[in-house]
Amino acid sequence: MFFAGIDIGSTITKIVIREDGGRQVALVRPTGAGHRRLADRVMEEALEQAGLTFDRIAFVVATGYGRVNVPFADAQLSEITCHMKGVNRLFPGVRTIIDIGGQDSKGIKVVNGKIGSFVMNDKCAAGTGRFLEVMADSLGLGLEETGEMALVSRSPVSMTRICTAYVGQEIVLRMSEGVPLEDIVAGVHQALCGRICSMVNKIGIEKEVVLTGGGAKNPGVVKYMEKIIGFPLLRPAEPLLTGALGASLAAQDLWRKAAAEGRAASPRERTLAPVSFFQ
Amino acid sequence: MAEEKGLRRAAEIYADRFRAARELKEKGHKIAGYFCCYVPVELLSAAGFVPMRILGDMGEPVTVADTYLPTMMCPFFRSCLDLGLKGRYDFLDAFVGVHACDGAERVSAVWRSYLQYPCVFYLDTPHTAHDHALVFFQKQLGYLQAVLEEHTGRKISGAAVKEQISLYNRQRRLVRELYKLRQVDPPPVSGTEVLQVAVALLQLPVQEGNRLVEDVIAEVKARRPGPAPKKSRLLVSGCLIDNIAITGLIEECGLRVVMDDTAIGSRTFGHDVEPTPDPLKGLADRYLAKIVCPRTFRETGKSRAEDLEQRYAYLKSFIQDWKVDGVYLNLIRNCDIHGYEIPELKHYLEGLGVPVLAVEQDYSTAGLAPLRTRFQAFAETMEID
Repeated sequence: MFFAGIDIGSTITKIVIREDGGRQVALVRPTGAGHRRLADRVMEEALEQAGLTFDRIAFVVATGYGRVNVPFADAQLSEITCHMKGVNRLFPGVRTIIDIGGQDSKGIKVVNGKIGSFVMNDKCAAGTGRFLEVMADSLGLGLEETGEMALVSRSPVSMTRICTAYVGQEIVLRMSEGVPLEDIVAGVHQALCGRICSMVNKIGIEKEVVLTGGGAKNPGVVKYMEKIIGFPLLRPAEPLLTGALGASLAAQDLWRKAAAEGRAASPRERTLAPVSFFQ
Repeated sequence: MAEEKGLRRAAEIYADRFRAARELKEKGHKIAGYFCCYVPVELLSAAGFVPMRILGDMGEPVTVADTYLPTMMCPFFRSCLDLGLKGRYDFLDAFVGVHACDGAERVSAVWRSYLQYPCVFYLDTPHTAHDHALVFFQKQLGYLQAVLEEHTGRKISGAAVKEQISLYNRQRRLVRELYKLRQVDPPPVSGTEVLQVAVALLQLPVQEGNRLVEDVIAEVKARRPGPAPKKSRLLVSGCLIDNIAITGLIEECGLRVVMDDTAIGSRTFGHDVEPTPDPLKGLADRYLAKIVCPRTFRETGKSRAEDLEQRYAYLKSFIQDWKVDGVYLNLIRNCDIHGYEIPELKHYLEGLGVPVLAVEQDYSTAGLAPLRTRFQAFAETMEID
């Protein structure tokens, strides 16, 4: 029996196909502007990798901001629930999840394997991956190099602004003052982490803390998050996949529940198709 | 199903408030616009006006008001002023501003400067409900009455005010009866429908409004809802909600709005005016002391626990009587009055074992998408596995 979770984030689309108690196939692709017509193709690609056909998938759960555009999903769940389920599977001792995504970031309090409370940044992009992207752009650097560069700095600058729209301006100002590049880069990472921590502190940061999302792949973010929080953080082997993993776990739960109530859809009625504007 | 003409009429008025108001004008009514739930509609009505609560429009971008107000101000009142400056409220025959909060106070002042109406009054409303404050507020109501009398050229008798008090008391009782119908599960009427009724009442002549609620109650009682999936029951507290885009979104996300603690809801319809020899005293007591909004400071208790109990015990009874599973604390951005309440309110509600979702929103239908994830996640946290 196979279950699939598809997590369409603002920047990256992730799929996990799991066999009950067995192997797992995962796929990570950029979301892009055309994601409404993309979900089915990414799923096809994942199926191909798994050597499966779509009718073998018993249940599909979609999550992430693009979850409404997955017509072949059997259910939609919020990314809060899916991240919690995915991380809790990987780290059963987790109490706090901090997810740093491309356009939003969130904190989730886990209590006995359930969501205790959660908090998300509002529409402002200050506490998100977008903040780092804007910084890398204004410095003419690749996003990947900035994380490593932040590690080198001995005295990160204090950023007076954490607004994504103004961070470029502040960077130019610091450069004109002759501040070394790595101190600016480190300062931006520190400001981002400070912003996220003050948000997650609203629900309380308790050990163990698991860091997920694209931000968890950035060594500069990890360093400053740990510095502010004061103890080491845990990270999944692939921090991008926890939402999709959680969605695939939720798919199994939901399928079981449906089967127990005698309403499990056995012959697949859904087809792997892109979303239509006329649906 | 029988035709639900009361609910349909409420939905029609809600859908085009301005058209409904113009229709009243065509029938010869005079309309007095006012801010917030602190202006005694009884006095406006006794002076021969139909009171109309001035609301904003979440669906319309603020394009004019930002010339006159800083953008860090309450987006609800910025939207109100925006509509005013665009001429949407030009049909008003009178305007009553109020010092409900700083937003209402500033916008009242700007409104008076730029928009001319035949009759204008600013109701100075104290921020405490001490005895002296009540005396002060009663005096202010006397000034309002005098301005209305001067404008219309006729005295408002005590008997006329008392008659209006009894009509509006009846309206408030009827709305509470409608609210009580939501104590059963599943509730036979949705949060969206109740909001439409409430908004309609904020601009109808009182007797017409009372007939509307009577119709709605009869229609809701006649509904025979079949078995429905179990959904979590929500109490909405905090800043006002004047747009069904929000109640609709909440209800789309698998939650049911069953009770509210907001200014277009239980704060407006929650308490009656007591009969007093001088009706202005009853009005002052009801409007200043009985309406619970954090814009008015409450006497605190000796300890934190006692303080919280004094301030929020009414929510505990809402939660018990309406079998509430979770509380949504609705914050319109930059509302410091409600914002400051959040930590203590959260602490109190979580102490009762009730999950709380606090969201700050922009008073804009364009910005609702991120709220969907929060409501959906909140619904998922409360689902019984």
